[in-house]
Amino acid sequence: MKKLNVGGYFNILAAILGVVGTILTIVSSTMSADNTLAGLPMIAAAGIAGAVLCVLAVWTSGRFGNFDLIGSVSLLAAIGLFFYTFGAAVGQRVMMIAGLFSFNAGNTTGWSVFYVSVGAWACLLVGCLVLIISGFLRTVKENA
Amino acid sequence: MLAKTKRGLWRGLAALMVFVLCLSLTAGSIMEANAGTIDTALGTVSSGFVSEQNAGNPLYDKFSPPAEYLNADGTGNSNALISAAIDLNRREAAEGSVLLKNENNALPLSSGANVTLLGIRSHSNLLGSSFGVKAQGAYISLEQALSQSKTDFANTMAWSVGSRGAPPGPTVGAAWTGDEFDFEGAGYNLNQTMIDIYEKLGDTYVHYENEPAAEVYDPGEPSIDEIAGVNSDYKSSFAQYGDAAIVVIARPSCEQLDYLPGGVADGLDFEHGEPFSLTKNERDLIALAKECSDKVIVLVQSSASVEIGSLKDDPDVDAILWIGVPGCYGFLGVADILCGRVSPSGGLFDIFTAYNMSAPAMQNMGKMYYSNTEGTITRTGGVLGFNPGAYAIEAEGIYVGYRYYETRYYDCVAGTGGADSSAGAYGSSGGWNYDDEVTYGFGYGLSYTTFDYAIEGEPRFEISTDPETGAPSAYATFSVKVTNTGSAAGKTPVQIYGQAPYTPGGVEKPAIQLLNFEKSGVLAPGASETVEVKVDLQFIASYDESYDNGDGTKGTYIMDPGDYYFAVGNGAHDALNAIMAAQGMDESRMAGKGNAAQAYRRSITESFISKTMFSVSKTGYKISNQLPYADWNFFQPGEVTYLTRADWAGTFPKTYDNMTLTNQQLIDYLNGKIYELRTSDDTSDIKWGVDSGIKIHEMYGVPYDDPKWDQLLDQLTLEEAMYIFSFGGPSIPGADSIGALETYMTENAGNGIAVNLNASKDPDAPWAIPQSDTNGNWHPEVFANAPMGASTFNPELMYELGQFEGIESLFTGINILWGPGLNTHRHAYNGRNGEYYSEDPVLSGVAAMEFAIGALEYGLVAAPKHFAFNDQESERGGVSPWMTEQRAREVELRAYQIAFEATKYDTDDYDAGMRGLMTSFSKIGAIECTSSYGLMTEILANEWGFIGYAVTDIYDDVDLWTAVLNSGTTCFDTRGQEGFYKSTTLDSCFLFTNQMYSDPLNAHLIDGDANLQLKLKDAVHKNIFAWSESHLMNRYNATTHFGSRMTWWRATYMGLEIGSGVLAAAFVVLYVLSSTKKKEEK
Repeated sequence: MKKLNVGGYFNILAAILGVVGTILTIVSSTMSADNTLAGLPMIAAAGIAGAVLCVLAVWTSGRFGNFDLIGSVSLLAAIGLFFYTFGAAVGQRVMMIAGLFSFNAGNTTGWSVFYVSVGAWACLLVGCLVLIISGFLRTVKENA
Repeated sequence: MLAKTKRGLWRGLAALMVFVLCLSLTAGSIMEANAGTIDTALGTVSSGFVSEQNAGNPLYDKFSPPAEYLNADGTGNSNALISAAIDLNRREAAEGSVLLKNENNALPLSSGANVTLLGIRSHSNLLGSSFGVKAQGAYISLEQALSQSKTDFANTMAWSVGSRGAPPGPTVGAAWTGDEFDFEGAGYNLNQTMIDIYEKLGDTYVHYENEPAAEVYDPGEPSIDEIAGVNSDYKSSFAQYGDAAIVVIARPSCEQLDYLPGGVADGLDFEHGEPFSLTKNERDLIALAKECSDKVIVLVQSSASVEIGSLKDDPDVDAILWIGVPGCYGFLGVADILCGRVSPSGGLFDIFTAYNMSAPAMQNMGKMYYSNTEGTITRTGGVLGFNPGAYAIEAEGIYVGYRYYETRYYDCVAGTGGADSSAGAYGSSGGWNYDDEVTYGFGYGLSYTTFDYAIEGEPRFEISTDPETGAPSAYATFSVKVTNTGSAAGKTPVQIYGQAPYTPGGVEKPAIQLLNFEKSGVLAPGASETVEVKVDLQFIASYDESYDNGDGTKGTYIMDPGDYYFAVGNGAHDALNAIMAAQGMDESRMAGKGNAAQAYRRSITESFISKTMFSVSKTGYKISNQLPYADWNFFQPGEVTYLTRADWAGTFPKTYDNMTLTNQQLIDYLNGKIYELRTSDDTSDIKWGVDSGIKIHEMYGVPYDDPKWDQLLDQLTLEEAMYIFSFGGPSIPGADSIGALETYMTENAGNGIAVNLNASKDPDAPWAIPQSDTNGNWHPEVFANAPMGASTFNPELMYELGQFEGIESLFTGINILWGPGLNTHRHAYNGRNGEYYSEDPVLSGVAAMEFAIGALEYGLVAAPKHFAFNDQESERGGVSPWMTEQRAREVELRAYQIAFEATKYDTDDYDAGMRGLMTSFSKIGAIECTSSYGLMTEILANEWGFIGYAVTDIYDDVDLWTAVLNSGTTCFDTRGQEGFYKSTTLDSCFLFTNQMYSDPLNAHLIDGDANLQLKLKDAVHKNIFAWSESHLMNRYNATTHFGSRMTWWRATYMGLEIGSGVLAAAFVVLYVLSSTKKKEEK
């Protein structure tokens, strides 16, 4: 295995953010029975799959060289999967959030779910941004 | 190397474009799922009906706006609409403002006077409630109304204050660029020095036109020192502007929050330590006003009783005018009164007490929780995160508001029931004394003239019983001669009150209660008018919970034989005094004098009106107890003592905090265990999906009981019916089988339609106001808070307000209105009082009825809320108000009953009534109102004959889907849910995934439950019937289908999707090409 370059570290960071974001999404869905996310298994699976693809992209670069096809496809797919997890959760939380900022500000459970959700979404979005930057960079050091 | 760099570049750019693509896909998906809401906010039209229009397929031929609101080409005339709204709100405030005190000829104050306005609320005006009935958009300020003659809408926009975490913002998103309007103001010259000072102090004391109540309240009134800190020489301006000093004192109201007993901010020295008493800074303002002028006028803004006894008693305070929360243009009406253009004619909507805490209801108000909630109540707080385990014991029984104070006063004078004990005395030194406890009575109001009232002759009694159904019809029409005995022209309410004979130990009865009212025309000095007031005698009957009906049931309305008294008066106290005078009671013990000529006695015998005449409802339905679970003692006997006038001292409510749940049935009910889903019923007789070729457009005007409805309902599939029940708005699902389309139908609120003119949901209407209209940003929620409407005591004006909102609804394309508020005021501290009319059920019920019937004239279904018992906002989600059934029926429910029965508008051919309602978040005792069969079916539908749309409050009790359906509620408020059958389905909607006693919602949930399938048919029937009576039917004909339309936001996200998709594909191709090139180089 070649030594990681900056892009590789970014991929690993994105994977970690994806895992954390997914875990927080699951937590936000299980904090109360009234705030479960419909389709949670699919949402969680997408997040985890995205993280796996981030790692896969590193591995394939080590095996086939920087900017290899499989690694690149994995990177693009990871962005899509992270976004699926993010978008599916946001779509189901829109009305809860609208309520928190208007007629339902006293919903303490809702605020807890909101804060955890925001944490999850931040992780997933930052993970995507890190992957974009990683896309421009070498994943491994080729002379190693 | 170069190739590798390019590969990285193409890959990175591809990743960037994939990100943008995903972002636009996600944003597009979320926007499409909330398209209706976005349309409302942005004024776009993303979908609509598409129809052919020809002789055989007419459109827009059922309801239309009056010609006066149309241009020559048939389009809407926004200027005329706004002008009419200004005029109506002006008249609403002019008739609803209540003159409480007027000495030394302080008022009217003629035009040209030099006036100083004091109090920060004179500059930062209070127009509406925070949430609830918010006043939106451009308005006319108090200063403008008093001194200007043309609107300055461009610089006078209302601002709202959000709740936790939400920054305040303008109530309408963009600045006003439309027309300005001329008006006739009071013509005063205002002290600019003080205006400038308050403008500066507004940086520190930030106020908004729509502001909330607070659990720890601070009115935000600057001190005298702070005024001097801005301009130390401010008093020198008083000499020039000393014709009068007008002080404004305000207490706001709002959704979600209550005032709480003792809930006041530190250091403000509230006079009584309570939020409705005056702070030191407010009292100092009064003193400052006295320095400024010999003429001190106080304007009081509130939706509840403000503790202003000290102002009443202060000889240097010349006038007090309650002006409510007047809406966007209501200050013009206030100006009309101040300058004498209009003589005041309002009556108080609630009793104003010296101390609000003296009300028996206040002994059990606020946040009270069961001692053993944890571990006992397992039901969660729902998607809105409500707090389970809150309750309020309404131990005051029927003695709410003036019913308590006036009845206790009567018993004090009569010397009965220990009424003059010190129990419940706050203002009295020693024994309880009316004058020390009450500042201004219910219904009271002064004018610039005086009136004499006299009941002429015998009232006309019309008593009969339907021979087939036993339904009673019992009315007394009083002819009241009203004479203007003063020197100014004016009009006056004509209020008829009644008193039923009371026997200590018998059924509780108030000493006085409002039975009905009308309003005179404007009478010149010396002129008279005979005003007829028709009283439904049902409302002087009493509900006896223990009455044995002889058929195994208990409880019904009874009319005890004996002497019944009726009286006309300037408020409840005046009417009661008239009755007491007629009864020959000791005048020396009375508070005020009574005029026996204002009273009428009628001995009612069994042969005239039988004791059980009202044991059958107007629909012919036998009345018996339906809400046993409302009474705590039903489950845990003897733990609550209700107030009785037989023993005022011994039963004055104690505070029931930390009650402990021990009864298992009670616990089960609180946990939502109300309905057990059946799974194996034979449902083969229940027809679904039987095509008869009937479409919804054919149902306009078809009576509810016409067999054609059965055919239409059988045509629906079970799944379609479940969609219609599950998703009750604002967007409501369609049903292909009957040609119904998904439509955004409903919106708030009671003071106007909450949709801008340029965001109409019916943009194809011939009268639609085009988006290019310069007045398109006008928001129709401009009218006053509900108590102002109630205080007009003018049924015609109430009707006119409903008519106008019906017209607004035609221009905004909303056919069901979630409003008006119709709960009665249990006490002053309910934050929502601004949305509800009054403490009196007759005043509230008549106001709502007139509004709703007026609105329906233009095809707007008014759905009053919150049915029922929303007696506090604290822990409003599922709080349990505990009460006797007598209290429930004679106070809270009576308001709804009057409105729903709408007997006044019945004809031989048409059973008038309201066609909508919204249920309450609260429970009734142990059971959610949404799930109470007794409330929703037995009382609402069977006794009162309600037919129509009965929606829950937002997301309420979605975990009790089967119980809510079983009760008779017809749908859920599911704001934000759209795209039915596609993006939003029965089993994918997050609202219904957590069911307490069934599987998550799915299309087969009730396959094996015949009862629920029949209930579903009934619910859907009522919903569609309500639609069919509304102007929604304007849009349907045989060719109508659904059409999606391009909007700028849709074009934006689609453009992004396409652009980023293409670029992503291009960069991927470039990446692949450069990879191939590299391989070739190798």
